[in-house]
Amino acid sequence: MAGILLVAEVDAGELRPEFWELATLAKALSGAVPGGVSIALIGTKLDAAARAAAAFAVDALHLVEDPRLEHPWPEAHACALIQLCNQLAPQLVIAPRTVLGAEMAARLAVRARWQLLQDVTQIEATADGGLQYTRPVSGGAVSATLRAGAGPWVVVPRPRAFTPFEPGAAPASIAPTRHAFAPPPLATVCAAPQRVAVEGISIERAKTVVAGGGGLGGPEPFALLRQIAELVGGAVGASRVAVDSGWVQPAMQVGLTGKTIAPDVYIAVGISGAIQHLIGCSSSQVIVAVNSDASAPIFGIANYGLIGDWKEIMPAFRDALLARAG
Amino acid sequence: MRVVVCLKQVIDPLTPASTLALDQAEKKIKVGTSAPPVINGFDEQGLEAALRLRETIKDLEIVCVAAGERFNNEVMKRALAVGADQLILVQDPSLDTWDPYPIAQALAAAIKKIGGADLVLCGRQGSDWDNALTPYILAEALALPLLTLAKRVTINDGKTVEIERVLADGSMVMSAPLPAMVTVTSELGALRMPSVSARLQAARKQPKQMALAELGVEAPALRSPAVVALAIPVTGRSCTFIDADGPGAGARLAETLLDAGVIRLGGER
Ligand SMILES: Cc1cc2nc3c(=O)[nH]c(=O)nc-3n(C[C@H](O)[C@H](O)[C@H](O)COP(=O)(O)OP(=O)(O)OC[C@H]3O[C@@H](n4cnc5c(N)ncnc54)[C@H](O)[C@@H]3O)c2cc1C
Ligand SMILES: Nc1ncnc2c1ncn2[C@@H]1O[C@H](COP(=O)(O)O)[C@@H](O)[C@H]1O
Repeated sequence: MAGILLVAEVDAGELRPEFWELATLAKALSGAVPGGVSIALIGTKLDAAARAAAAFAVDALHLVEDPRLEHPWPEAHACALIQLCNQLAPQLVIAPRTVLGAEMAARLAVRARWQLLQDVTQIEATADGGLQYTRPVSGGAVSATLRAGAGPWVVVPRPRAFTPFEPGAAPASIAPTRHAFAPPPLATVCAAPQRVAVEGISIERAKTVVAGGGGLGGPEPFALLRQIAELVGGAVGASRVAVDSGWVQPAMQVGLTGKTIAPDVYIAVGISGAIQHLIGCSSSQVIVAVNSDASAPIFGIANYGLIGDWKEIMPAFRDALLARAG
Repeated sequence: MRVVVCLKQVIDPLTPASTLALDQAEKKIKVGTSAPPVINGFDEQGLEAALRLRETIKDLEIVCVAAGERFNNEVMKRALAVGADQLILVQDPSLDTWDPYPIAQALAAAIKKIGGADLVLCGRQGSDWDNALTPYILAEALALPLLTLAKRVTINDGKTVEIERVLADGSMVMSAPLPAMVTVTSELGALRMPSVSARLQAARKQPKQMALAELGVEAPALRSPAVVALAIPVTGRSCTFIDADGPGAGARLAETLLDAGVIRLGGER
């Protein structure tokens, strides 16, 4: 019987970095949920990721490795997780809020009839053996505190709400337990993903993000933002309007259904600052806004603001950087 | 062939937080003003997916189903105006809840009552609580395979539904045999505007009311977490405005940010 089971997502052989936020959460709850901490890795080519994850001192590593788990096929991955949970009977499962992880969590919770605690930003055990937690709702306009009764629970933390755990130098050596993947007949079918390479560094890693929105009016101005991003060593992001209009790739979307990022600097150009956008960038150290509408909500959350037309401002901004760069 | 589209009536997600009213006794989010609700944006896109299917499939019936405490008929009738054949409103005080379990049970019962569906379309999530959970419970209750986050939905040979699923770094084609369920995402595209003739036709159509009691809804199998408190978070920062006009403003902004060390040329990646 396992206490806490962490779902470590593996992408192309690499442990996804959200894992370390889940690890912090597991540490915080390990007192309230006895039975030790284990890690589940599901997919193919898991060995390197398993070694990396084991640097978080845990009691057991469980691997479900199978060619059918090569792609991020939600039904198959959820089946593997459900099968593991049937065997290990954890009291608490913690999964990442990625496209795949959130769906595995939902499928597990609904199938097992466990309580699902989503988008958790704060959590604590209650005296009566439950969990009390806080999460943003309505796109972040409201913060809700909820109380879940006795477990088992599935917890999905909000990205960036928990500081990543810093693993020690020497990775612990635990022999992984391997489990065969034996799903019931699967109802859905999945083809290999078409990955779209994003130019430059990803917005999740960049220290500076220059983002464009509906105010840019088309795909072309994003080339200007890219020049600026390259001058300052950053990445280009976007609002949903820019993505839904087909100007840029979904991988660049910041916000509720896009990515949650926390760069040192976020420069928002022609972005109104709808609450569903802000929830993805409000943890940035410094926010700079360029918008022609003085009443745009983005100015309410910006440290530096410039009211005006990007067509006048941003080329001059780039030229000033170029001039300084010499 | 019948396609059911699940429509959730929600507070307009662009309502400024300052005009939201939190009912601390009932633990519910309400609008302070009398601003009308809207159909959840992703659900409108689900309806658009259904309308696109009808362009290629003969005799495709589109039935919209909504569960809630009380409806704004004018708002919900937009579904009829753009071309849905039927709009079913399942109304009950118990459906005024954040908890997706009773909602999904009510939707499942209504769909069974009308004789089921070949395809059930939902939005990826409700903009009220951002749960993204109802479709999973509904799929389980109806024992249907579920495909999620579709930006394209097609039906092949009347037997299989195929979607293009949006991933963080691309997309993936998935399929399932009908009957099945699909959730759609905003990349699919916006709901079309109603044509004048369709709007006139729709004006004569009425939504069909269904009482929860006549549906024989199963009790939810699970207690969801209970809401303890609601609050409007304070997020403001104080903004320093760059006081300049025209192209000079761009240069001033660059200098200000460089001098304050906010950005660095050739900065760390
Ligand atoms: C459930 C849900 C989830 C959502 N998820 C996301 C998400 O993940 N990410 C996201 O971004 N949005 C999301 N949205 C959408 C969000 O509500 C807004 O619609 C969206 O963020 C608006 O994008 P925008 O500000 O770029 O475009 P617009 O609303 O079109 O605003 C354009 C802005 O540009 C300014 N502008 C126009 N011309 C110029 C000019 N020449 N120079 C300078 N400024 C100019 C305008 O003043 C305006 O402020 C979501 C919505 C819902 C309901
Ligand atoms: N009360 C409801 N009536 C009709 N459909 C709903 C309702 N609640 C949720 N749905 C559907 O389920 C999807 C996800 O909603 P949610 O789980 O609330 O985030 C929505 O986009 C709708 O398609």
